[in-house]
Amino acid sequence: MYCYLYDEYIQENKRFERELLKIENRLTDLGIAGKVTRLALFRDAEEMIRDEIDRGVSTIVVVGNDETVRKVIDVVADNEVVLGIIPIGPNNELARMMGIPDGVAACDVLSARRVEKIDVGTVNGRRFVTGLSMPNFHAEITCEDKFRVTSVARQAELEIRNLADVTDPRDGQFEAVIRAAVKKGWGIFGKTSLKESVLPLKSMAIRSEKPISLFVDGEEMKSTRFDIGIEPLLLRVITGKARVF
Amino acid sequence: MFKDKHKSDMPSFASGETIIAQGVRVEGEFHSQGDVVIDGEVAGSVETQSALTVGESAKIHADVKAKSAVVAGEVVGNIFTEEMLELLATSHVKGDIVTGRISVAAGAQVNGKVSMGEEGKGGKVKKVDEEEIIT
Repeated sequence: MYCYLYDEYIQENKRFERELLKIENRLTDLGIAGKVTRLALFRDAEEMIRDEIDRGVSTIVVVGNDETVRKVIDVVADNEVVLGIIPIGPNNELARMMGIPDGVAACDVLSARRVEKIDVGTVNGRRFVTGLSMPNFHAEITCEDKFRVTSVARQAELEIRNLADVTDPRDGQFEAVIRAAVKKGWGIFGKTSLKESVLPLKSMAIRSEKPISLFVDGEEMKSTRFDIGIEPLLLRVITGKARVF
Repeated sequence: MFKDKHKSDMPSFASGETIIAQGVRVEGEFHSQGDVVIDGEVAGSVETQSALTVGESAKIHADVKAKSAVVAGEVVGNIFTEEMLELLATSHVKGDIVTGRISVAAGAQVNGKVSMGEEGKGGKVKKVDEEEIIT
């Protein structure tokens, strides 16, 4: 049984009306129409989904974007239901990497139902699918309680990748990528180039004396300590043939 | 801060490969199962079950253990390789070497004892029977 979760921005924006109508018709044609649940300002997405799962729903389809997925990821992962996406509007990087086309074309991918299990990352107990980023990286990383990594360059950024164009989200580990700006040569003749370090890891901790910002799937978190881990093959997702992994 | 034009300069890598590039320092017990490329600074110990590449800009102050290794930078510490160890012309090694086979380029600097062949495979040096240097 399918449950379709419409994000708030889709209902408010009239330009998506025609697209939604096409999607609903296509889902009916394919025989996978289901209950529609609408997100609203004071309605808790997790509670709504939990109610639907109790009623026997086995597939939650998010009609929205990456942010909509982020709202439901915890409850979907905890309840072992399958997650589908119908991407509408901007900010749909996750759907792209899963090989799901925008709008009505996504209905056929849903109908084909190619289910993959993927890893889910955690940061301070909060889950993420794609990755994390720290644009101004001047902290110390402790990797798997065995070794420490620091940047000795003036400027550096940190990126944690679980699902990306170059990573496999089914390998039970994430990649920590440090891009350091390294200067070669002297004075005005010196050239700065970016050097990329890549560390495949299962756990790491970031520590800093001052609070630092970390962007989780695009959303900002501030703390002096971040504990990052991975939950292997936790999330079941419907993917398309064009997926990146 | 970082523009897209830099991305083309970055090395492509296979999944599972570890790269420690310039501008990064690693301290502690660094163990890996996949290939490792080091161009930055490492202190402590380095161990991999696959191939290790030490770039020209690398500064390693650690004991190194790998299946095979190519060294072009500085290693202060003992090196143990099961199979092939290749020391390039720019390499500086200060420490003992235990390896299955070795290749030393002209210009490479080695300060330490070299043990090879079957005696070296166990990781302990009992007796040096033969020393083979290919340049």
